[in-house]
Amino acid sequence: MKFEDTSQNLRARLRFIQVLVVMMLTVLSVRLYVLQVVRGDRYAEIAVNQRLRRLPIPAPRGVIFDRNGEPIVDSRPIYNVIMSREDVKDLQSLVEPLAEGLGIDKDILKERFDLVSSMPAFESIQVKQDATSNDIAWVEAHNLEFPELRIEQQPQRKYPADGMLAHVLGYVGEISPEQLKQSTFKDKGLKPGDIIGQSGIEQIYDDYLRGKDGYREVVVDSRGRIQDEIETVAPTPGRDLLTTIDLDLQKAAEEQLRTSVTQRGVIIAMDPNNGEILALASFPNFDPNLFSQRITTKEGKAEYAALLNDPETPLLNRAVQSRYPPGSTWKIPMSVAGLEQGAITLEHSNLVCGGGITIGNKFTRCMGNHGTPDVKTAITHSCDGYFYRLGLKMGIGGIMKMVDEFDINKRTGIDLPNEVISWTPSPDFKRRMQPRDPDWRDIDTVYSSFGQVYDVITPIALLRTIAGVSTGGNLYIPHLLKEVRAVGNPGTPDYKQPVGFQPLDPAKPNPKKLPIPEEIDQTVVQGMWQVVNAGGTGAGIRMAGFDIAGKTGTAQVVGLGKDTGKNKDHSWFVSYAPAFKPEIALVALIENSGFGNMHAAPAVRRVYDVYYRKTRHAEPPGAVQIAQK
Amino acid sequence: MPAIIHKRSWRDFDWVLAFMALGIVAFGTVQIHYAQPTQSYWVKQLIGLGIGMVAMLAIAFTDYRRLLNWAPVFYVFGLVLLVVVLVPGIGMRINGQQAWIKVPGIGQFQPSEFVKVTTAMMLARYFGKNRAQALTIKEMIVGGLILLCPIALILLEPDVGSVLTYMPILAVVLFLSAIRIRLVVATALLAIVMIPLTYWIGVKTNLVKKYQQERINVIYDPENADRRGIGYHTWQSILTVGEGGLFGSRQSSEHSQSSLKFLPEPHTDFIYAVTAETTGFVGCVLVLVAYAVLISRLITGARRSSDRSGMLVIMAIVGGLTFQVFINIGMALGISPVIGVPLPLMSAGLASLIATFIAIGFAMSVQLRRFVN
Repeated sequence: MKFEDTSQNLRARLRFIQVLVVMMLTVLSVRLYVLQVVRGDRYAEIAVNQRLRRLPIPAPRGVIFDRNGEPIVDSRPIYNVIMSREDVKDLQSLVEPLAEGLGIDKDILKERFDLVSSMPAFESIQVKQDATSNDIAWVEAHNLEFPELRIEQQPQRKYPADGMLAHVLGYVGEISPEQLKQSTFKDKGLKPGDIIGQSGIEQIYDDYLRGKDGYREVVVDSRGRIQDEIETVAPTPGRDLLTTIDLDLQKAAEEQLRTSVTQRGVIIAMDPNNGEILALASFPNFDPNLFSQRITTKEGKAEYAALLNDPETPLLNRAVQSRYPPGSTWKIPMSVAGLEQGAITLEHSNLVCGGGITIGNKFTRCMGNHGTPDVKTAITHSCDGYFYRLGLKMGIGGIMKMVDEFDINKRTGIDLPNEVISWTPSPDFKRRMQPRDPDWRDIDTVYSSFGQVYDVITPIALLRTIAGVSTGGNLYIPHLLKEVRAVGNPGTPDYKQPVGFQPLDPAKPNPKKLPIPEEIDQTVVQGMWQVVNAGGTGAGIRMAGFDIAGKTGTAQVVGLGKDTGKNKDHSWFVSYAPAFKPEIALVALIENSGFGNMHAAPAVRRVYDVYYRKTRHAEPPGAVQIAQK
Repeated sequence: MPAIIHKRSWRDFDWVLAFMALGIVAFGTVQIHYAQPTQSYWVKQLIGLGIGMVAMLAIAFTDYRRLLNWAPVFYVFGLVLLVVVLVPGIGMRINGQQAWIKVPGIGQFQPSEFVKVTTAMMLARYFGKNRAQALTIKEMIVGGLILLCPIALILLEPDVGSVLTYMPILAVVLFLSAIRIRLVVATALLAIVMIPLTYWIGVKTNLVKKYQQERINVIYDPENADRRGIGYHTWQSILTVGEGGLFGSRQSSEHSQSSLKFLPEPHTDFIYAVTAETTGFVGCVLVLVAYAVLISRLITGARRSSDRSGMLVIMAIVGGLTFQVFINIGMALGISPVIGVPLPLMSAGLASLIATFIAIGFAMSVQLRRFVN
């Protein structure tokens, strides 16, 4: 160096700079080592995760068929607007433009965004279900502003028109936040946005019907746009369900309720030999499509609120969730139990009618004066006086024993959700119902013996009881599932066997066999046969050559026969046919329509007509007059 | 005898330096292609390499003393360019910075990169006289003013990152111009105390804005900083570097951080992160070694310089280069804040590339004339 003599330690200063350079590069090397070698694997994992996205492919839900293989519920493809959330910094700022662009209710969207904010960010959000072609065009046109939006196809449930079978089928809906907290749902791996059965057999057999969603694993860029597809796992479709419903009978039953005086009531048809429900109609009904298609719209919410507030409770499945006094239909189990318990005997079953009975200073009347009838005649003419005395002979203990024997104080075990338990007479029940007058008196026994006050039962429980009598004491569990269909071919690894009906409560015997002596049973059956075929209370619906056995009933609403306005008595008819070799049992209840033989019996008869045509391939003998409103 | 000079020139030519620079650019071009396979940046970079090599050789075989004589002219010309870039219509605004001049055919170039060289020349000329005593206050003020003119103009663009790269040029020149050691030590101590203190006061009085604090926090704790906002660049760069591992990422190139646009500016500011992803720790360290060799050759050249001004030019270049390398790679590794400083010789960008070659050419010229009186 030629000039260093005139400088201050220039050589040292240059060396200092050189050392400084090496130090700086060393610092960088150390940092590199930390990032790449020490933490490399972890960062690589994070980097891979941020570009991988798992997009669900919804599994099509199983189809629901009637017993003859007619499809009832199917799924149709719809398009949803989906948003990948990972790229969105501020969800709430999107509420306004999306609500406007896609015509969604702001509050609903806001609520939805709030709900997902607690979920992992790689899950997508459904912004709009069942997008119209306009919506799809809007999303495509705004690809630059909202690259996180995309369109996905999804199968959507389509239920029959007119709410047919609404209460049986139930409906599907998005899993609710409350449900997500319950372990029964969490353990199945369900997540927000998943569609599950929320009512009816959709709910009960959800695990079969739902299937398993598949997914596409894709690589996305920093804006969430799909760049590549890595893996596709096809969804496992839900399994198809064969129900026990016969659509022809179902339509006939619904038609009867729709054209009934009050348009409120229940008709159930069942095979008494195995408990298969052939028809189950409850009116008024509702449109299940509301829940599967429209519930997230403003109009849908209003529609739902209207259903909830409707005084006629259309959402209620009256067959299993409403209790009614059975009225005179109660006399059937009473007769069987009276004979069984020895209160009356086959040889001498006559009791005085007396036109009524006086207990203390209160006279409870019979509708006529029937002399001293035997049990068959008492059934045929529905003699209240007879059964007041039979009840008193059996005592409340005997009536309670009968209730127990016929399982009336238990759920029938039908495969529908939220079945209620019937109320049956007991001193205990009275204490709870009338705390001011808690003591059980003879008059209470009288009331309990002809199906009022303390007897309040569900139509399905009544039908099961009567069907039990028709088969000589076999109480089957009423059910709607005939078979979960097999999947695949036998022998292949994917094959799944068909599944038949299993009682929801595995401890419940099916059938429960009652030890009713055959002569006793036949006596009561003959009594019921006479109701229709020997000038009894149901004589109006007689079909020559197709012996209907039945019993009318009138359920007291205010006081028997007292109100003729909107609180009129409920009209019952419970039956089976043919009387001595039953194939079908039928119950009808028309709310607030008056006497059983006026409304319920003709409705039942018209369902029998359909059954007759179907099975006998001939016109049913003797058409009935229709009692219209 | 031009022929003899010519022959001796080739013998004394610093081949290692030339090949090191060429090698880094070639390697860098591959990385640019990897970062932006669908774009033509890598072609432009090769064009820049051609122009740069020609400029480097032209300057290397020109007497640097003659060039230094013209330093004030170059310096003023540089300032004019910095004014021109601010004129609307001529200057181009990219990302809020009016730092580019439109050039038909090539696209645009950034005058602040060239002005670095002219400023270094100007400083070398002013401080290049033989000196007998320590640096005077007056000299320091003049040196400061020489730096201040371009800096002030660049701040108008505004391009704070560029301004920062000017600082070490003056620092090195002053340090090697017999500035008193006690002054250096005092400045260093003051900086160590004052910078954290000022920052602390700034935070307390809210003079340092939240987002500015966030930029600092990102460096301390990138994982817990705002990974989607202010910390996004740093975090993504760290992930990209980390994914490279020891020998480079095993992912297919279509799924790389840069192809999927997770890593921003992969061909310019974050070219080193791309390198880290493709070549891993091994490749990264080799790049650092290449820079170390390159800078060492320059320092050796400075040491052999026949006069003070030649030495100062080379060391000013060394100061600027080292600082840029450190800041840019530090940025990719998450230890320095994200300021748009290109990695010399590797980042895509004609101005930076050509300016660096011009600077290296200058250093070569000084070396070639080390025996000339």
